[in-house]
Amino acid sequence: MDINRLRNIGISAHIDSGKTTLTERILYYTKRIFAIHEVKGKDGVGATMDSMELEKERGITIASAATYCEWEGHRINIIDTPGHVDFTIEVERALRVMDGAILILCSVGGVQSQSITVDRQMNRYDVPRIAFINKCDRSGANPYKVVDQLRLKLNHNAILMQIPIGLESGFSGVVDLVSMKALYFEGKNGEVVREEEIPAKIIEEAGVKREELLDAVSMFSDDLMEAVFEESVTEDLIYEAVRKGTISRQLTPVFVGSAYKNIGIQAVLDGANRYLPSPGQVENVALDLDDNEREISLSTDSKAPVVALAFKLEVTPYGQLTYLRIYQGAIKKGHDLIITRTGKKIKVGRLVRMHADLMEDLSSAQAGDIVALFGVECRSGDTFTDGDLNYSMSSMFVPEPVISLAVTPEDNKSQHNMSKALNRFTREDPTFRSFVDQESGETIISGMGELHLEVYVERMKREFGAEVLTGMPQVAYREAITRQTLFDYTHKKQTGGAGQYGRVAGFMEASDEGNYEFINQVKGGAIPTEYLPAVNKGFQSCLKKGPTFGFPVLGMKITVNDGKSHSVDSSEMAFTKAAIGAFKQVYKKAKPVLLEPIMKLSVDGPSEFQGNVMGSINQRRGTIISSAEDGAFTAIEAEVPLAEMFGYATTLRSLTQGKAEFAMEFSRYTKVPESLSEALKGNKKKESKGEKKK
Amino acid sequence: MKGLISVGPLRILEKSSRRGLGPGNLGALIARAGVGKSACLIHFALDKIFRQERLVHVSLKEHPEKVTSYYDVIYHDLIKALNIKDDSEYRTLIDKNRMILAYLNHSFDLRRLQANLKNLTEQLQFRPDALIVDGLDFEEAERELFEGLKTIAQESSLEIWLSALSHRHITETNERGIPHPCNKLDDLLSIILQLKPETSGLFLSLLKDHDGLGNPDISVKLDPNTFLALD
Repeated sequence: MDINRLRNIGISAHIDSGKTTLTERILYYTKRIFAIHEVKGKDGVGATMDSMELEKERGITIASAATYCEWEGHRINIIDTPGHVDFTIEVERALRVMDGAILILCSVGGVQSQSITVDRQMNRYDVPRIAFINKCDRSGANPYKVVDQLRLKLNHNAILMQIPIGLESGFSGVVDLVSMKALYFEGKNGEVVREEEIPAKIIEEAGVKREELLDAVSMFSDDLMEAVFEESVTEDLIYEAVRKGTISRQLTPVFVGSAYKNIGIQAVLDGANRYLPSPGQVENVALDLDDNEREISLSTDSKAPVVALAFKLEVTPYGQLTYLRIYQGAIKKGHDLIITRTGKKIKVGRLVRMHADLMEDLSSAQAGDIVALFGVECRSGDTFTDGDLNYSMSSMFVPEPVISLAVTPEDNKSQHNMSKALNRFTREDPTFRSFVDQESGETIISGMGELHLEVYVERMKREFGAEVLTGMPQVAYREAITRQTLFDYTHKKQTGGAGQYGRVAGFMEASDEGNYEFINQVKGGAIPTEYLPAVNKGFQSCLKKGPTFGFPVLGMKITVNDGKSHSVDSSEMAFTKAAIGAFKQVYKKAKPVLLEPIMKLSVDGPSEFQGNVMGSINQRRGTIISSAEDGAFTAIEAEVPLAEMFGYATTLRSLTQGKAEFAMEFSRYTKVPESLSEALKGNKKKESKGEKKK
Repeated sequence: MKGLISVGPLRILEKSSRRGLGPGNLGALIARAGVGKSACLIHFALDKIFRQERLVHVSLKEHPEKVTSYYDVIYHDLIKALNIKDDSEYRTLIDKNRMILAYLNHSFDLRRLQANLKNLTEQLQFRPDALIVDGLDFEEAERELFEGLKTIAQESSLEIWLSALSHRHITETNERGIPHPCNKLDDLLSIILQLKPETSGLFLSLLKDHDGLGNPDISVKLDPNTFLALD
């Protein structure tokens, strides 16, 4: 396969803009499938790319399914990516390995917040793109407005390659501004493209838009500029100039159509072939681990040593399926590969090319290609080489999880299945984490949003037979003292048997650093040196569970400056007990307060929702630090107690029509307001009474 | 923080006829690029905040994170100069009384500012007493914008301080001696200050003082690093 005729493209946009519908048409026209099934279709089959049962049911794409097709002598590898905010890691992964992308926009909704998020992600990976304004058949469709938004909101040098013939219910075809022909899509599924003269009523408009196109793209080609002056413009000159502009990310060619109505899809495929880069035209770098992580430019030479990146793992009933992008060299069946991270050697057993959940066996694959390996144990993001090089591809951007949930298996069988499921999910998806909370003993799962976690809980049930109950996770409260307090305690038990005697005196105070500190200021051997570690141990043992609220105690400084021992009855145990006694004696006098984790919260969303978002943060005891407007988008930074943030994803979604997204990370611990502190204290008492009764 | 005025550039306002800008009024601080307009305005802002007044810092060029770090640096110098050991009370005042609004990539307009101020009042019960607007391009902005700001100041009874960038090569002044870029706007500005580096140091002087002209001879010498008053 000529690498110049290979395209690796992602299809990205916000939810419900028609990504899966478009992909379904592409597969149909390229003869990879022989029937079109709709997302949420009446036939109950679901779209081809939504291979997971759950995806078909919900009509959203969850896992990005890779597939390929051939169009006009080009092989196009497509990764269909989810549009929902909760699944952005899938988008990130797709963009990481893609050389170009089709950005889909809704001709009614225009550039929405998720389009902006996706666009930012594309910028991060320098992905050239073409845009497709979909749903031109819908009521309220206005592709011209969307082009303006592309320019204003996303700073794209967007230029229409086509104009629509009619709009809304009258949308019937497109005018190609390069060939200056009208295109109509006929046949049962729009597979027959009929070329006609441009209808008289829009010929003038077409002329104006072509002038705009030539003005914009001639900036990228002197030959085209000259041809414009000499009125000798050819189609090839335009294609070449648009291609240059697109690959350099200075131009975004825009196509229009309706995937659902089968209008304009073939032109988008032509656009992908013509304007998006081949793997050879994209610079990819790896880090040379033997040379202080120096960046090395990779070549698409198939004879060069192999460098490949595992960008997605999927667990199938037959073992792990590893999606791989080959950046350099060639991978052959039966050859050995080394995983850079572990140095582990693996043999290439089954090498396949994926078509949604179907696969095609291959004997070899070349640089630039996207394939999958069967039965290889590795992690997402691992680099593979043939052992000649010690290279690692730069790591993918992995956002931190923002929400956690406690999961409890319903029975022993579910317990076993749940651990199997969690083990698999955490390897498949770096944004999904699981751990056992040492304090509550609960299994906590964390991820990018409630839907994200909800999907995994569903998958646990469906794929692994693990029935689990979900609950609210325990917020990690802490307590700390606020006042310096003196202690003087004698532990004495000298009534029969071996006696116990130990006296400790000193003071406790809050430590500036927030850590536990133990200061020995004992003079004259009042406490023999060998017993001081026991005193320290006694105090430390009290910190695990504060006497007032029952949470771990943070930031305490203990200074011991006096004491007394007995030549026979003193022991390590006696001094440990003396320290515990001293702690309990004065802890409450030291005015303990309850602390709660405060999260730094960022909410990004369209500016029109600024007030709603601010209100929602305020209601959650949050403090807004700043609000930054950029174009039509506002980013709000705030600090909010974690305890108030559960369910926020849902609240935010409903407040902002799903157009805003948020991220949060731990900032610090601060004092819980008095009223809440009392309520928590009450709850804690009830809990401990309940435990005692049990 | 009683000592703030004695150490900060605000000492100049003590010398103004009304001892400050006052609600409903616009004030401008003129200086060339890099001289320290933002730092001086942050001193003004901190003064407001420590007087328990609520302040909105509007940044038209910098991201909020950068604005916050400017505040941190200036605050640190101030605390050091006033020899304050436990500053937790002041930190709380900053958290409570300061709000940063940034308008990046030419996102600023009056309608947005008004909407944002309304949101602050209605959603957060944060009604500002003063606004600092840093980074407004006086050359590009229309007079209507300043008139609009004046209306906001009057309607909401707040004072608005603006930073104004001057250029070495533009020496024009109006008949009252007010230099570019405030020369065509001085009817809207109640106080105009100028921050100017001289061979003998950095000086903040009063060019316009409410209804009258300021006395340029009345000036405060500032430390060019901390912008604290030297004399």
